[in-house]
Amino acid sequence: MNLLDDNVARLAVRNEPLAAAVKAKTGGAFTIEPARTGVPSARRSGRWIHSAYDPLREAETWAETHAPACREGETVVVAGIGLLYHVEALRKRLASDVAVAVLIADLDEFHDALVARPLGSWADHILWLSGTPVEIADRLSKTGRPLRCLSYAPATHSDSDFHRAFEQALCRGVARQTGGQLTIALVGPIYGGSLPIARYVRRALETLGHKVQWIDHSVHASSYEAMGALKDARNRHLMQGRLAEVLSQWTLAFLAESPPDLVLSLAQAPLTLPVLEHLRKKKLLTAMWFVENYRHLTYWQQMAPGYDYWFVFQRGACLDAFRQAGARQVGFLPMAADPELHRPMDLSDEERRTYGADVSFVGAGYPNRRRLFPALLHRPWSFKLWGNEWDGADELRSVLQLNGARIDTDTCMKVFNATAINLNVHSTTGASLDPQADFLNPRTFELAACGAFQLVDSRSQLPDFFTDREMLSFRNFDEVPGLVGQWLGDPAARQTMAAAARTRVLSAHTYVHRMRDLLGHIGLSQPDRVGAVLRGDRQQEALLARCAEEAPLESLLKNFPAGQRVELKDVAARIRSKGSTATLKREELMVLMLDEYRSETRDLL
Amino acid sequence: MLHEHSPERRNLVIQLARLGDLVQTLPAIEALQEVYPKHTLDVLCAAPLTSVLAGAHRLGRVIPWDGAQWRAWTDRWRENPIHTLQAMHAYVASLGETAYERVYALNQHARSHLMTQLFSRRSSREDEQDRIEAHRRPWAEYLRHIATHRGNNRVHLADAWCGMSGVRPRGRAPLFQPPAVDLPDDLASIGKRQGLWVALVTGAGETDRCVSPATWGRWTKEFLTQTDEGQVVLIGSGRERETGQAILESIPTLLQGRVWDATGRTTIPQLMKLLHKCRWVIGADTGPLHLGSLMGSRALGFYFSHARVHETGPYGEGHWVYQHARQAQPDSWPIMESIALICDEQRRAAADWTLWRNRMDRWGTRFDDGSGQESVEEARATVWRKLSPTLCESVAA
Repeated sequence: MNLLDDNVARLAVRNEPLAAAVKAKTGGAFTIEPARTGVPSARRSGRWIHSAYDPLREAETWAETHAPACREGETVVVAGIGLLYHVEALRKRLASDVAVAVLIADLDEFHDALVARPLGSWADHILWLSGTPVEIADRLSKTGRPLRCLSYAPATHSDSDFHRAFEQALCRGVARQTGGQLTIALVGPIYGGSLPIARYVRRALETLGHKVQWIDHSVHASSYEAMGALKDARNRHLMQGRLAEVLSQWTLAFLAESPPDLVLSLAQAPLTLPVLEHLRKKKLLTAMWFVENYRHLTYWQQMAPGYDYWFVFQRGACLDAFRQAGARQVGFLPMAADPELHRPMDLSDEERRTYGADVSFVGAGYPNRRRLFPALLHRPWSFKLWGNEWDGADELRSVLQLNGARIDTDTCMKVFNATAINLNVHSTTGASLDPQADFLNPRTFELAACGAFQLVDSRSQLPDFFTDREMLSFRNFDEVPGLVGQWLGDPAARQTMAAAARTRVLSAHTYVHRMRDLLGHIGLSQPDRVGAVLRGDRQQEALLARCAEEAPLESLLKNFPAGQRVELKDVAARIRSKGSTATLKREELMVLMLDEYRSETRDLL
Repeated sequence: MLHEHSPERRNLVIQLARLGDLVQTLPAIEALQEVYPKHTLDVLCAAPLTSVLAGAHRLGRVIPWDGAQWRAWTDRWRENPIHTLQAMHAYVASLGETAYERVYALNQHARSHLMTQLFSRRSSREDEQDRIEAHRRPWAEYLRHIATHRGNNRVHLADAWCGMSGVRPRGRAPLFQPPAVDLPDDLASIGKRQGLWVALVTGAGETDRCVSPATWGRWTKEFLTQTDEGQVVLIGSGRERETGQAILESIPTLLQGRVWDATGRTTIPQLMKLLHKCRWVIGADTGPLHLGSLMGSRALGFYFSHARVHETGPYGEGHWVYQHARQAQPDSWPIMESIALICDEQRRAAADWTLWRNRMDRWGTRFDDGSGQESVEEARATVWRKLSPTLCESVAA
């Protein structure tokens, strides 16, 4: 028998279908070449998968780096197979109660690995995972074990789509297990477009059952604005910068009162880099949802290393730019809608007259809109323009509503609901449509959630979220008058499309979905912290179930109600409630002792 | 007929604070040993400091308390409370006997009180521990009051800990023999040749209590210039290596041969041996000064910021302290004055500084400035009578 046959025979003992499938493959994904040390190494498309000098040593180093983080009871999922040197090294380093699973994205690669190297007995203790990314993720989620994902980067490059889809499916799987309650400090901005989003996020997190500590900096907006009245730009920036620093410290003081599991900031939240670094030293997890166009607002370049997690609504170059700026982890998290606010409304006739029109636009007067919208004047249909920052747009004065005053969310919803065709033109500082149309604005989802018909400028992400039966888009603004004329005359078709878009948003694009994904992402990379809470591992019943043979802890836990998350401070508080004269058991004294040390460690300031 | 073996009677002193506090606990430890000669006395202290007590006479076990491990468990609890509780159980079990007849907890934080309960024999908790608490509480309140309001306290912390433990000071300072350890080769000759050997404490536990390397450099230069037989040993932890180097570099090359840089190069036992070899130890950090006096060298302290001579001056007799008049960082230092004191026992005043020398009496150690204030002893006696009336009755008897 040759190496492949030996290896397939070994594999077949535990996984016959996989053994048969890999044997049926022809391989050829890798070019096998001997390394300097004589053992086989491999290349794919010219790139080395393993060291050309010493693959064994390289694998040992990789395993040495990752093994310390792996905890008993976890399943460690390795992405990237190569010739399996790293898998072997990791398996040998880990205790038997840590399971190791390997993702097989490409059976030809696996075939090549089995031709090149013999599988040892270590391979009998590997869970080989093949199938579609979703199938594998479902299978892993159902095990109920904490998952820790490791990537052997040189070997994942060629199957990046597979691995991305797998990670996404796994995040969703983790997010679905929301059995536990996290405490999340939500840090909002002083003012601006991310402020209402912070409020939607808050509601979404609470809907998911998490406890939100809302750090609302908008209460300081009037002071910030007052400083904005200073004529000297240097003084203005200095004073506003100082206020932001004070608010950053204030956030720290707030967090010190009751440290959360996660600090989640929305774009423009006044948290400075030193404060973020301080939080990391104190082992608090931090995340930022940067709900801004990264090309326009660029302060993230200085802040990138500060947060543990960044979430952005642009992909591709944006993700790369954040990583290059020092962001540890960057994930894609698009905008969404909040169906409690963004919803169909029953409007009176008067409201329909006031807020309605054949065509409406709600938004600020960015340069491209100022240049494009005059083409919508003097048409056989009515056009209304709502929003602020339209000063100087004299041509549009006749259609500008409320003298260009900022409108509140309620008014905005009425406009959306009362308008036949809502125009959604993404902002840009240029003269025409956004040439780098790589994200969807909140308005896209909000209009859809209202069941309002919209005409949106074409975006590269649009097909990922809505089909052309759910949303109508245009590539050139010249198309708009024609499309308006066409769709104004077909209310039934508009209603069908708008209803389909609303259904789509409710099923996949609400802030609840986004927060589930965000927490799933963090939970997956922090299986023993956020992940454990999400799995419900800290719930009284889960703890009780796990301490069947640990009578002292059982006696401490059984007085808590089922469903309650129980942390050290809760157990300590329950013991203290017995009073200072109570005779305490040894384990009770030890818990109190530990809680004293916890108080010292948690001394954030 | 077999006699029933009477169980050994064991008491425990808990002192979890830093080096200086542990050394200052020794008067209480020795007084307790004297009062309870048939009891074995154990001491529980911070794990890195256990070697300090290796030379203590008749001490039972020195139990290391691993605070770092407990801090690590606070994280681990979040991951796995069951395993953490098991690990804590195993840890406490590994400490051996934990059922003490009497437990004397000298720290004021909550952990110390919890340890008292953890280490007390269950049957003794309510009666014996109540008696200990009755001695402890008034002194604990007094120390808290002093820490908050300062005032004109003249009771030394080491003596207050005697009071907390329900014993009177013995009237003499503890003195240890040098540990049987080897020094690094290049430091082995320290103290062997004739000379006026001075250990200079380069750093301090708190930043606001540090004397600058430039000041110490000046002191060293002046001292070595004034006396041909002078030799200076720079001591400190690894954190003070740069300070030691800076001091050394600020001294003229011709004098550098009489400076020995031991910063960051000694274990605690080696440091104790070094201090034993020096006639004097000078510095602003109370810990090494206490350790020096324990090893038989004479201490000379520069006390400023929060350091107060009457509470934490070197324990015993014949030690000196320059106390700064204000809490702020001093503008000038008693360099020539302290050198005159070391070289010729000349007592010289320095602007903004008062000079104190300590003596022992029946209430422990006290510092006087030579003004002959008899009221000092009476003030201490009043405190003792108020806080430990039963002990004072026995003195009167």
